[in-house]
Amino acid sequence: MSVGPLFLAFFQVLIAGLLVGAIYGLMCVGLGLIFGVMRVINFAQGDFLMLGMYFTFYVVSAFGVFSFLGPQAAPIAGALLAGPVLFAGGWILHRLLISRVTGTRAAAEREAGQAQLILTLGIALILENGALIVFGSTPTAVHTPLSWSAWMIPFFGGASSVLFVNKARAVACVVSVLIGAALYWFIGRTRLGKALRAAADNSEAALYMGIDVDRAHSVAFGIGTGITAIAGGLVATYYTFQPYVGFDFVIIMYAGVVLGGLGSILGAFWGGMTIGLVQQLATLVLPMQLQNAAIFVVFLLVVQLRPQGFFGRSAERV
Amino acid sequence: MLEIERLSVSYGGLSALREVSLRVGAGEFIALVGPNGAGKTTLFKAISGTVAPASGRIRYEGRDLVSAAPSERAHLGIAHVPEGRQVFPSLTVLENLEMGAYAAAGRGGLERSLERIFALFPMLADRRRQLAGTLSGGEQQMLAIGRGIASLPRLLMLDEPSMGLAPTVADLIFERIAELHRDGGLTVLLVEQRVAEALQSCDKGYVLETGRIVLEGPRQALLADDRVRRAYLGM
Ligand SMILES: Nc1ncnc2c1ncn2[C@@H]1O[C@H](COP(=O)(O)OP(=O)(O)OP(=O)(O)O)[C@@H](O)[C@H]1O
Ligand SMILES: [Mg+2]
Repeated sequence: MSVGPLFLAFFQVLIAGLLVGAIYGLMCVGLGLIFGVMRVINFAQGDFLMLGMYFTFYVVSAFGVFSFLGPQAAPIAGALLAGPVLFAGGWILHRLLISRVTGTRAAAEREAGQAQLILTLGIALILENGALIVFGSTPTAVHTPLSWSAWMIPFFGGASSVLFVNKARAVACVVSVLIGAALYWFIGRTRLGKALRAAADNSEAALYMGIDVDRAHSVAFGIGTGITAIAGGLVATYYTFQPYVGFDFVIIMYAGVVLGGLGSILGAFWGGMTIGLVQQLATLVLPMQLQNAAIFVVFLLVVQLRPQGFFGRSAERV
Repeated sequence: MLEIERLSVSYGGLSALREVSLRVGAGEFIALVGPNGAGKTTLFKAISGTVAPASGRIRYEGRDLVSAAPSERAHLGIAHVPEGRQVFPSLTVLENLEMGAYAAAGRGGLERSLERIFALFPMLADRRRQLAGTLSGGEQQMLAIGRGIASLPRLLMLDEPSMGLAPTVADLIFERIAELHRDGGLTVLLVEQRVAEALQSCDKGYVLETGRIVLEGPRQALLADDRVRRAYLGM
């Protein structure tokens, strides 16, 4: 039995969509955690992604720190290491700057919202221009043999019908799902994770429970930064980047987080996944340049039909 | 146990508390009553650290409380059940109680605390996996109180626990609070609009009006006071 070429193409983009969707999902989880816990619109999230990419590039390609792991595993190790390093960076950034305009200190001030926007926008500009000075504007990539190789899966037997699964993307997808699951477990089951959610629900009541809300915010900001940086490191294995690469992804991240329902970790992941799928499936019927237009059409439709997002619960809005 | 001396608080120039002094002895049940806007909630927030005093002192078990970080105060054995319940809506009943036990004192004894809370409010036991945001108002109030005592506090502060509740539910809540005080030996500081009920069960009461303590005394004296009878008890 031979399968129609359109059918094959459909499955091919479906796989591509699932693979990039998982990585988008991980990025969205990082942003969603920060927004969910702190209610801060962070313009610099795309730049944390960029820093994760450059970190992975320098550690893996320039300095070869993980070369003993072999060319396949080294980029993954580099991306994973970007997590704790940018966690620390995010934590310090929150301590020094963000906490001045958010959390318990800002609760009393009326214009804190504007100060937050201006601060994160300023951080974004500094990171982008700083990266331009330090890293230069030449597009780079983290080279791994996986980027150019694919598993070929026979599709319904026929010798000519084969599905290609890019290895770099497949590995990045698996790592993304694992990290997303770990974070889901952390937020759902651990004492600190529950305290983060409590602080997100009602920071004043959380203080009355003895939860150090500002510290909880530092932790959330650090984790959100680290998770997005890992996603960046993973993307870097198949995507060429430069200091302004954050722009390419920040819209995707926000759209994913809103789609999934603001404040829901699981929702943020599925939001990112949806965007990956829409983006790839759109290539079947639309020219390349209109991929992102398709994302926004679906985005507007979902927001119109289900404003609380896929996973937003009305109980959370009390 | 808790000594407040000449405490003043103002919100952007408008004063909410003026030189308020109040003492809560260990094991006492103190009621604080007064009309809307008198500053009762503000006093609680000053004790818990979510508003900063303009002047005055707050001492708790002999130490200065004002210099302690707000998040530290629960760890010192103070539980604040805030006005309007303020449960964590997206957490389950059980998770809310776990957060109540966040302060070190309660953590070790969570199992025992849970038993006690579920014995006090059996409705909560049946709903432990339900999201707190989907509980009824009365159930949320029970949860808020349960969450307060989960830390095994020495001082329990309750801000209008009967607000918005049907009389029978309010009676049940009052009964439970009295029980916690009587059988559990808990020190209680209660703010209430239901003045009759609050004064009935207290050892000592304070009347707060427009930021000042206008009257204080033991239960009998307050219940017999003409001003209290006219203004608050409708007699
Ligand atoms: N965050 C705030 N900003 C400005 N003014 C405030 C703030 N919180 C309270 N106030 C004012 O302080 C005064 C005391 O308020 P508070 O909430 O302490 O009263 P209350 O005695 O608890 O009243 P109720 O019985 O209605 O709860 C009121 O006049 C109120 O308007
Ligand atoms: Mg009040």
